[in-house]
Amino acid sequence: MHPSAKKRQVDFQIIARWINEGESVLDLGCGRGVLLEYLMQTKKVYGVGVDINLDKIISCVKRRVPAYQGDIKAVLSSFQEDAFDHVILSRTVEELDSPDTILKAALRVGKRVTVSFVNHGYWKNRMNYFAQGRRTQNEVYPKPWYETLPSNPFSVNEFESFCTARQIRIADGVFLAGDWQSEQSLFPNLLAGYAIYDLEK
Amino acid sequence: MNDSSQVALRPDEGEVGLVEYVDFVSKEPFHFESGGVIPELTLRYETYGRLNADKSNALLICHALTGNHHCAGVHSLDERKQGWWNFMVGPGKPIDITQYFVICSNVLGGCSGSTGPESINPATGKRYNLDFPKLTVRDMVKAQAMLLDHLGIENLHAVIGGSMGGMQTLQWVIDYPERVGRYIAMACCARHNAQAIAFNDTGRQAIISDPAWKEGDYAVDQPPAEGLSVARMMAHITYLSDAGLEARFGRKRRNEDQSKEHFEVEFEVESYLRYQGQSFVSRFDANTYLYLTKALDRFDLHGPDGSLDETLSAVQAPGLVVGFTSDWLYPPQGNREVVQSLLRLGKDATYAELEMDDGHDSFLLRAPQLHQLIRQFLAR
Repeated sequence: MHPSAKKRQVDFQIIARWINEGESVLDLGCGRGVLLEYLMQTKKVYGVGVDINLDKIISCVKRRVPAYQGDIKAVLSSFQEDAFDHVILSRTVEELDSPDTILKAALRVGKRVTVSFVNHGYWKNRMNYFAQGRRTQNEVYPKPWYETLPSNPFSVNEFESFCTARQIRIADGVFLAGDWQSEQSLFPNLLAGYAIYDLEK
Repeated sequence: MNDSSQVALRPDEGEVGLVEYVDFVSKEPFHFESGGVIPELTLRYETYGRLNADKSNALLICHALTGNHHCAGVHSLDERKQGWWNFMVGPGKPIDITQYFVICSNVLGGCSGSTGPESINPATGKRYNLDFPKLTVRDMVKAQAMLLDHLGIENLHAVIGGSMGGMQTLQWVIDYPERVGRYIAMACCARHNAQAIAFNDTGRQAIISDPAWKEGDYAVDQPPAEGLSVARMMAHITYLSDAGLEARFGRKRRNEDQSKEHFEVEFEVESYLRYQGQSFVSRFDANTYLYLTKALDRFDLHGPDGSLDETLSAVQAPGLVVGFTSDWLYPPQGNREVVQSLLRLGKDATYAELEMDDGHDSFLLRAPQLHQLIRQFLAR
């Protein structure tokens, strides 16, 4: 497996920890449906992906992952409260145009919401700006800024203070070190490269 | 027998080639949803490919309003025009006839060989015309199910259709959920919005107000040609799009001769539409047009209680619904609504939206991503 593919999948196992067999999962920004395919295989979930990009949807069709091509906000508004056991935003939040509204809607539709993201408070990411005056570019973010979607990077501290302000309960949080392999629970805002949260309303 | 093992040896794509239609005749009375009855019925259909030994590879294609059973191949070697979905159906094509046994029938109420308003009523020896019972999409699907029974096919690998064909597809998985393995509905909706009904009624009024219509009792060789032709011109605009028409015709002029009559054909688009209208008259029956458009206007999966979720709860098979951005007849929102409902119900459903400039008729055109979607979805 390509090292970056391995890195991409590291949060799968952690996300899967919070999901019971046979539960329902809505994956917002599902991409090619790899996470959902994994959850369908390992946890027998009823999974639905949402993505704006047709080629991603075609990949989901290949993987037999039900997927909806469209705007996340519009899709969320079509579901009743607690329609899904889990709503997942895996590396999606930073690309949303109105994260506050969408996270609120996700918490309405999902009994629980999983959010995972790259911690831009991680010391190496700070160093990129400090020492080189440039944003993070590595095997997970290989493309320069002008070839990517608009991105709204944030840190562990910023996310947690958002949850406090919105009275969102953090049921669990897992932080991974810079290699995205080992867990890093000490000083996560500075030392964790990646954060994964299980949220409740 | 299944010769799918030979697929790899074939060149990329082949043609269906010469085809013949077949008439299925049922001598049993057919009861319409409206309560009407006809003593017997004929469905004209074509098949391509071979039914395998366990009869598990049958695929039903449902045609649109003015389509028919002839969706691929040619009827004679000197015929220039192939079936309406020829690029989609054939060896190695997305609907691969080396894998699937493809069935397409002219709908009940149609005018391409199946029983409809222009057929002879055996009771009177005259054409049904307006004595033909009120028709619904459910009736069309019921007749197709009878055809499958006749062919000894219990289960379909897939049902697929666009526009009115998409509505039949949805009706199929609601009425016969256990008989369908998977389905693809394109450029469709759960019910007509006011604009779609308005378009249809304008077309109907063009026919009805043509003096030649004679309350539907026109002679075969004296149809309400003017009315039907205008109905078609108007409808044809709704199948295209602003951008599509602009790209194809713009303001191109047919004739620069200014001395001509004031209201003769001046712009290319006028010439094109008039041709569409006139050629339609030679292949389509005016009463049939009234019946089919009415069936579409009445189609309503929201049901008497206004609950789409309730109607769609019958669905079992995984489905793919495809909308087209430039479709202003059945806009993406109507397609999305179907999938949103299916997903609320916990069904296996996928929604894809193609950005194409060709309006409602986009599903009839070549588009690599549409091909990929259909091929992949049928293979799953």
